[in-house]
Amino acid sequence: MKIAVCVKRVPDMDVRFRIGADNVSVDEAGLKFDINDFDAWAVEAALKLKDKDAGSEVTVISLGPDVVQETIRKALSMGADRGIQLKADKVPFDGLAVAKALSAELKAGGYDLILFGKMSPDSSNGVVGPMSAELLGLPCVTAISSLEIAAGKGTAKRELEGAQEIVEFPLPAVLTVDEGLNAARLPSLKGIMAAKKKPLEVKPAQLGEPQVTVRKLELPPERKAGRVVGEGAAAVPELVRLLQTEAKVL
Amino acid sequence: MANVFAFVETRGTDVRKVGLEAVTAARMLADKSGGGEVHALLLGPPGIAAKAAQVGQYGADAVIVVEHAGLANYSPEVATATAADRIKSGGYRAAVFSTSAQGRDLAPRVAARLGVSVVTDVLSFEIEGDTIVVRHPMNIGKVIATIAITAKPAIIAMRPNVIAPAQNAKAGRVENAQPSIDPATARVKVIETRQGGGGKLDLAEAPVVIAGGRGLKAAENFKLVEDLASAFGNAAVGATRAVTDDGWRPHSDQIGQTGRLVSPELYIAVGISGAVQHLAGMRTSKTIVAVNKDKDAPIFKVADYGIVGDVFEVIPALTAAVREAKKHH
Amino acid sequence: MPGSRAKLLPSAHQAPLPLERLILTERPDAEAVPMDVLFVGGGPAGLAGAIALARLVKADNEAGGDLGDVQIGVLEKAGALGEHSLSGAVVNPIAIRALFPELKDKDFPFRAPVGGERVYFLTESRAVRIPTPPTMQNHGYQIASLCEIVRWLGEKAEALGVNIFTGFPAASLFAEGQRVIGVRTAPSGLARTGDPGSGYAPPTDITAQVTVLAEGTRGALAQAYLEWQKVASDNPQIFALGVKEIWETLKPLDAVVHTLGWPVPKDCFGGSFMYPMSRNLVALGLVVGLDYKRTSDDVHEMLQRMKLHPLFRDLLESGEMVEWGAKTIPEGGYYALPKRRHGDGLMIVGDSAGFVEVASLKGIHYAMQSGMFAARAAFDALKKKDTSSASLKEYDAMVEGSFIAKDLYGRRNMRLAFQESNFYVAGLKAGLMTVTGGALLGGKITSHPDAAVARQVTPPQPFVPDGKLTFSKLDAVFKSGNATRDDIPSHLIVGPDITPEVAELYTHMCPAGVYERDGERLVVSPANCIDCKATDVIGPRWTPKEGGSGPKYRQM
Repeated sequence: MKIAVCVKRVPDMDVRFRIGADNVSVDEAGLKFDINDFDAWAVEAALKLKDKDAGSEVTVISLGPDVVQETIRKALSMGADRGIQLKADKVPFDGLAVAKALSAELKAGGYDLILFGKMSPDSSNGVVGPMSAELLGLPCVTAISSLEIAAGKGTAKRELEGAQEIVEFPLPAVLTVDEGLNAARLPSLKGIMAAKKKPLEVKPAQLGEPQVTVRKLELPPERKAGRVVGEGAAAVPELVRLLQTEAKVL
Repeated sequence: MANVFAFVETRGTDVRKVGLEAVTAARMLADKSGGGEVHALLLGPPGIAAKAAQVGQYGADAVIVVEHAGLANYSPEVATATAADRIKSGGYRAAVFSTSAQGRDLAPRVAARLGVSVVTDVLSFEIEGDTIVVRHPMNIGKVIATIAITAKPAIIAMRPNVIAPAQNAKAGRVENAQPSIDPATARVKVIETRQGGGGKLDLAEAPVVIAGGRGLKAAENFKLVEDLASAFGNAAVGATRAVTDDGWRPHSDQIGQTGRLVSPELYIAVGISGAVQHLAGMRTSKTIVAVNKDKDAPIFKVADYGIVGDVFEVIPALTAAVREAKKHH
Repeated sequence: MPGSRAKLLPSAHQAPLPLERLILTERPDAEAVPMDVLFVGGGPAGLAGAIALARLVKADNEAGGDLGDVQIGVLEKAGALGEHSLSGAVVNPIAIRALFPELKDKDFPFRAPVGGERVYFLTESRAVRIPTPPTMQNHGYQIASLCEIVRWLGEKAEALGVNIFTGFPAASLFAEGQRVIGVRTAPSGLARTGDPGSGYAPPTDITAQVTVLAEGTRGALAQAYLEWQKVASDNPQIFALGVKEIWETLKPLDAVVHTLGWPVPKDCFGGSFMYPMSRNLVALGLVVGLDYKRTSDDVHEMLQRMKLHPLFRDLLESGEMVEWGAKTIPEGGYYALPKRRHGDGLMIVGDSAGFVEVASLKGIHYAMQSGMFAARAAFDALKKKDTSSASLKEYDAMVEGSFIAKDLYGRRNMRLAFQESNFYVAGLKAGLMTVTGGALLGGKITSHPDAAVARQVTPPQPFVPDGKLTFSKLDAVFKSGNATRDDIPSHLIVGPDITPEVAELYTHMCPAGVYERDGERLVVSPANCIDCKATDVIGPRWTPKEGGSGPKYRQM
């Protein structure tokens, strides 16, 4: 099976972000970057399929400047076979532009399965996977949390609000991966050594014209200070009243 | 003045709340543009047509009803084709979806089919001449972006709960239509929709989370927390790391930096002092209530409402009051 | 105070070094990864060494040498380079300039050159400016973040083809006779019981012709090697604990500031530093010798109290603490250096060897330079095809002939004076030593291991952090980025007879809240550990744990 996984390099979210001088990007000073977790799970899903069918080939694709090669190498060190960098100065917010560039590359690859993470935490838009599927005209299942592939067909589970969907699809197909599908393997020491020798192709990204552009970034307002409603059980009626009338959660 | 399209999310023959929110948002957009029409697409199995009137109540001038036996479950391909065809032929200024599991699946497909971009998780919107300007959270909500959409139609998916469904009765003319493709020919098939998760609500999904900490003193006292959760009916029970480390609750119940991250509508912290590690797991909750006997406990700094007092007194009283309130609901 | 006369001896409650786990005599796995030279630790010493060696090999090959492909590896326990690196830091750029002679100072990952300097003596409410002692003059040096230096060095090493293995702690040395032939890494994904859990990754064996221990302060393998080989030093190594915070401030700090005195007790060795990293970013910290005298002495808490002093409060109050970390510092100086820092197939560099000069609070340039010397010795050994102790001896000779030994010898008694006298007397002696180049009191002052210094059992001083200017240990650990999973098996070996008083000592000794006295018992939260190693010095033994666990420092 030929499998492609599209991955993105994202900043560690465990920080207080600062807005850059241009007002439309986050200040990258002091930020640490790594592969998007959802994408790492997508890589893991591909490698699990490869574990079962040694004839499989896993290609990792990432769009962005040269630093994304690190992200690709990480996936290669986990066990993917080859990498493609679609070179661009930056990754635009516009998911359609990204999807156009990726699908132009994916179209020629003859992949049986194309995997994405369901979203990246930085842009938090979650549209590149299904948009690419649509541009490629391929069946697509988004946000899967389980996956079985057998005899050219697949079954996946999707988590909905308070429900689950069981979905069947034919191959080739595009899938986006949610939390819970698997735990990504850590690169082994031998994997890191091997990754250095694996092929990594660099091509220009064919990004379309953006139709959505970030005009401004801001930090959200601080949470307003709370208040103590009262003391002891006597304060319960007032709390319930506030939950009903002010917070409207009861 | 421009017409706006809304996709009404359904499950089975029920209209989901986010569907009415999308209609409300579309109404607001149409009104802001100088009073265009809202056309809502209602897609589902036989019986869904009966919900058209409700959609009209929330501000749809026209309700396009697509009733088909093959639509008992969500069909991404039928929904994509039908919505895209309608948006294309209707010449809409904008199309509104929901940022739900279904909307996240559908909105980008429809947009790509139309050759336009999409912004999901939209918090608010404005019309500025030819541009629709929206606010969208980035970096897990730590940054808010203002985004200009120049695409036509502008496709947005609203974040749930940011716009309350508002009654604003319009004609709600019903227009019956056929799906653009036969559901039987769809390549991707949802073969089953399983309701719920077997009764026990998952922490990450529950609209209400009640969490207990060391202030409960002993494992058996978690019953207080469970009772309060059952009074709500839609609540899951969580715990702090101190409590799971002591084996009072399983590690899967742990909320915090190293445990589960939750963001419910209502979070009630019972006997939790509020170490920053715990706060990291729940501070994005919409409303936070804390009950703790130590008035200096850090949890009160993030709580919207606090009660200083003995959890063994306050929680049973709160449980009784919530039961009473739910009775009248 | 009644009962305040009670004393306890930390060493009486310490478990021995688990030598059987740290030195393996079994054969490495047949599938072991073969390296030629392996640096254990991706800090300034290991990375500078790897870079220097890669360049020597490259130059030799270009000149038609016969070494061919030399595999150089760097093992790092942190998930990414720099995440476990912490220093002040004001850096003497001598070593980095020597390593990159083709680059200019502006090319190095420094924040800013040292501008003004001020030293204060503090009382609880006052700050008296005192002349900057010669040992603390930093003109011409650079303010930097060690995390940033390490990440930068990592990129340079990677570009030279060095194999950098992050997330792989070395857990044991392989011994073959007296020779070190490689290491075994720590497994990951163990359940709390110690059995393989989900995501289990077994240990990997790596063989090497030369293993260079660059583990940093209180290295487990370096300690094990020295104990196994019975390598002595004139004095035992002693340590200080530094607790550091990075603050975003509204006002800029205009100078490098050091303080002495309050809140460090008079009979303890310690002081604070505060450095401007950029216009609104300030690094500050407090360093206190682990030979402090009372069970209730608590370095993290001292730092918190210190920030209430107007000297700090005025600057920090409207700001925000963005990062927190802690690390021990080997302070024993010249007489605590192991008599031999090399052996068959092995060298010990940087903080692992004790190359820190305490009067000037500096070690980064010694670490880098010692790594570079080790690289030279390894290269010559590979050329000679002789990696025996006799061949690697060249490394020790280079250190002895360099500024490393000269600087440490010059200040050889400075710190030791403080173990035997109170602060003022010791300060006077130290001052005289500086003036006389170490010659006054030039004989060797004998010192004791920190754990052999008796502690008076004293009740803790209640301190309630406000969460804005002052922080609890749990809040602090959160700011270290520590995201170690909660069900990690304990990597800490708790010794015998842990009385409530010993539990009290551990509670205050550990800056990260790993230990908590809960009534009569000691509660251990190993996931809180940020690998400062204070515990290994006077409390439960620290052993290598799962790769990628511990802190995730960004700008420390």
